[in-house]
Amino acid sequence: MSMNEVVDWLTATALSQTIQTTSWAIPGIQVVHIVCLAILFSLALSFSLRIAGRGFAVEPLASVAARFVPAMWICLVVLLISGALLIIAEPFRTITNPVFYLKMTLLVVAIAVTVWLAAVARRPVEKPTVVHVAGATLGMLVWAGIIIAGRYIAYVD
Amino acid sequence: MNEFLEWLQGTSLAMSVSENWFPLIESLHVIAIALVAGTIFIVDTRLLGLTSKRLAFTYVSDRLLPWTWAAFVASVITGVLMFIGNAAHYYDNTPFRVKMALLLLAGLNMLFFQMVTFRGVAAWDSDRPPTPARAAGLISITLWCGVIGFGRWIGFTS
Repeated sequence: MSMNEVVDWLTATALSQTIQTTSWAIPGIQVVHIVCLAILFSLALSFSLRIAGRGFAVEPLASVAARFVPAMWICLVVLLISGALLIIAEPFRTITNPVFYLKMTLLVVAIAVTVWLAAVARRPVEKPTVVHVAGATLGMLVWAGIIIAGRYIAYVD
Repeated sequence: MNEFLEWLQGTSLAMSVSENWFPLIESLHVIAIALVAGTIFIVDTRLLGLTSKRLAFTYVSDRLLPWTWAAFVASVITGVLMFIGNAAHYYDNTPFRVKMALLLLAGLNMLFFQMVTFRGVAAWDSDRPPTPARAAGLISITLWCGVIGFGRWIGFTS
């Protein structure tokens, strides 16, 4: 199946038709998507700052990670569901768009960095090294890149 | 007013925004509001007694609110740049006006919380916050969701 056939098939599904013909559905799903990315991004910043010895620094790293990382995964699941609904609703905006694939590639990197740093944080008496701080910084830049790429999907085709 | 708005969107800064920089400024605006709303939600859910329950409210808020303010300044700067690029349109735009009204209400809610409810924080800092504090948190979350919703809606009207 070619990309265009995938687009046509998705566009014709009942779910896609329902979302397309409900006027508030796409803005509504986008608001859920934005609220979740806001929380995820802010949790990622709090966790990254703690790795760099700032922010919630009086608290053990493991405790900060236990508080923030599970919430990040919950936000990510809601982001994936709302994002999938947006793709199904308007597949022609994303499936043939190179910026969408850039965004998904960055997402894989961001998830990998988060999994790695969460594993580091779980080890007892782990003191973050410069490598971990660099990883946390990279992670924040990649999350920001994901947000920028997400907005550029609307401007590139 | 219209003359002023026409002049504003005719300035070279406004022209350069609308011709070249809009997508980038809009992306930076989204990053800034993500930090504003995200940090506020983390503080508000603590205020509601839902998250970080074993930690003092001020411990959570002191570490996040400076980021909220810095990001808010960035949101205002990027927001103003987007506004001047098409000033007359936004000024007459209903979702834009509702968004500004909700921002004002969010500010008043925060001011009331700071001036009144927060004065007694010593009594509940490490416990479940009292009803006025929880109400402030719930109102704040609701208003900020509204700000994001109407903000997104602006983009569907131009």
